[in-house]
Amino acid sequence: MPAIFVVVVVLILFFFGYRYYSKYLAEKVFELDKQFVTPAHEFEDGVDYVPTNKHILFGHHFTSVAGAAPITGPAIAVFWGWMPALLWVVLGTIFASGVHDFGSIVVSVRNRAQNIGTLASSVITDRARTLFLIIIFFLLTLVNAVFAIVMATLFIGNPGAVIPAVLIIPIAIAIGQLIYRRRMSAILPTIISVALLYAAIPVGQAFPITMEGPAALLGIEPNTIWIVLIFAYTWVASRLPVWLLLQPRDYINSYQLFVALGVIFLGVAVGFDTIVAPAFNTDLPAGSPFWFPFLFITIACGAISGFHSLVASGTTSKQLANETDARYVGYMGSLGEGSLALAAILACTAGIGTFAAWQESYVDFSSASGNALGNFVEGVGYFASNLGIPVALGTVFAAVVVITFAGTTMDTGVRLQRYIIQEIGEIIGLRRLVRNITLATSIAVLIPLGLALYPAGGGGDAGFAFGVLWRLFGTTNQLTAGLALAVIAVWIMSRGRNPLAAIIPLVFLLAMTTWALFIQLGEFFNEGAWLLLVVDAIVFVLAVWLIVESASAMNRVRNMNRNSGGGSDNTPSPRE
Amino acid sequence: MREWDAQVSASGCCGRIGGKHSEFGEGEAYAHNRVEMERMGEVYRALKKALFDEDVELTVVDPRNAIWLVPALLKDARRNGLSIRDMWHGVTKGVSYNSIVMDGKVLFSGRIPKPEAAVAAVRAELASLSPGAA
Repeated sequence: MPAIFVVVVVLILFFFGYRYYSKYLAEKVFELDKQFVTPAHEFEDGVDYVPTNKHILFGHHFTSVAGAAPITGPAIAVFWGWMPALLWVVLGTIFASGVHDFGSIVVSVRNRAQNIGTLASSVITDRARTLFLIIIFFLLTLVNAVFAIVMATLFIGNPGAVIPAVLIIPIAIAIGQLIYRRRMSAILPTIISVALLYAAIPVGQAFPITMEGPAALLGIEPNTIWIVLIFAYTWVASRLPVWLLLQPRDYINSYQLFVALGVIFLGVAVGFDTIVAPAFNTDLPAGSPFWFPFLFITIACGAISGFHSLVASGTTSKQLANETDARYVGYMGSLGEGSLALAAILACTAGIGTFAAWQESYVDFSSASGNALGNFVEGVGYFASNLGIPVALGTVFAAVVVITFAGTTMDTGVRLQRYIIQEIGEIIGLRRLVRNITLATSIAVLIPLGLALYPAGGGGDAGFAFGVLWRLFGTTNQLTAGLALAVIAVWIMSRGRNPLAAIIPLVFLLAMTTWALFIQLGEFFNEGAWLLLVVDAIVFVLAVWLIVESASAMNRVRNMNRNSGGGSDNTPSPRE
Repeated sequence: MREWDAQVSASGCCGRIGGKHSEFGEGEAYAHNRVEMERMGEVYRALKKALFDEDVELTVVDPRNAIWLVPALLKDARRNGLSIRDMWHGVTKGVSYNSIVMDGKVLFSGRIPKPEAAVAAVRAELASLSPGAA
């Protein structure tokens, strides 16, 4: 099947999703009101609350939600065939992510632009906020672990990407000096930086850097050395002022995103490549995880991602000029993320070249996990060749894009994790933890480092361990989304409206997540993977806790509605 | 134009949850942005007050919002008949840590002016566009 055909069909479905389903949500479920005075107007100060044109807001929102995660999940999930992965991306985007992202903005706007964690406290119970913070702690830990493995895997598979990826550090520092110290224009330094970055690709290819030698000397895997180096870099980077390295990377990444999207989709359109992978992989080896339920946690971002609720309720809701704009910004933003996931699927099923190559890469789940990112970058390289860019260059380009995105995410992930650890220190009275940034940063790094290096039973297999960690990451991301959907559902119910649009994806997500976690408990126990067993068990408990809190809150609202004869515009207070 | 106090890009997994009003209130790391936001806020409010009866749309854009910014600046410049040179100047100087741009033309770049200076510059630009305006 030609890949472009799939692109057209998916885009048509997304169009219908926006045209009809988001309209239904806007009119019948959220009942958006053009006359509603949004917090952007009510508290307008030109600082945090600024009524903003919906196109500007979409640009900001989409730049924030797009990242490396919607690439990784689909790249693994095509192990089950391209059709299941594609169906989940499409249906999840239209019916789950769309509701989630759109609804998060609406509920926040209707509640003075509060953040989703605060809303969980006021709409569900105070315990929900605690639950939220714990989920975020595990989410950040797992994000840092999986992205370190992503980067290490790409460095090993693409040693030509090392020099450009390292070069971005001094480039970003130079931009930081020019923009924040000298107050120069941002665009020229950024464009020059991106050009330098890409110019370094042939240099990187000419001088590939590997860790085979040092690894052999030390008697460890090259993967281990890269992961340690990546975390060492992140430890240092997270201690630096954000304007020096992290924020300048924003400028580079913002432009890279559009170059990458352009290369992928133009490459597909021009090349007319064919999908070589099977629609359904019926040749699964014994012991492979079954697609039901694991598909739904392997692809989190790209189908539904809890992080979007944080983005939507943090800044976006404070800038919404008109409540009806939430449909465009939120729902369209989720369609954009779905498009990125679609690109990943095509890269790994059409860009991979031949069926034999696909079979070799996806021979079992361990290979699928271990080869996922490599398959994606090779697929993009192949699409780039349709535009006249040599495959080898295109492949390294794709690797550099993913590495730079993942590196930025890790930098900020470790910072936030350090902050949470210090907050925990404050709560439990461990003053040393609160005051000692070095200690807090070290803990923030060592925990995910331990997970990233942990062999998943039986001596360790990087591919399998990564696949397992990725699924654990997916479960925590889905739980975050589940919490946001619970807030949205309770809010809808409190207004006497039909909450099914939120409840159906909520129940589905929680069922798949809990089921997958439960299955994994047994697997980890049998394999003696004790660290993973503990993490899985904790996340399982969090999932059950979320189910209980959601059900309790909905029941409470249902009783309130019954007693009062229907819903009202007042958000219900928690019982405690 | 000025930055918001949060990391923006590749944030699908972590960004925009730092900053003063975010979930974690991690304001200190972005204190430099907060200073600029407050100062630009003063300019914003002064312009809002001074221009309330003018047909002027005020908006704040993060310079990292590449998808919207560059096409918008070029479109505005073309619509207002600016020369290629002015268009180039508008994009290169306009996309800045802080700047004030009106219809594709850069009024201030690289610094935040005093509110009254910003108001005067906007009024002067409005006057040049339509001689009868205040």
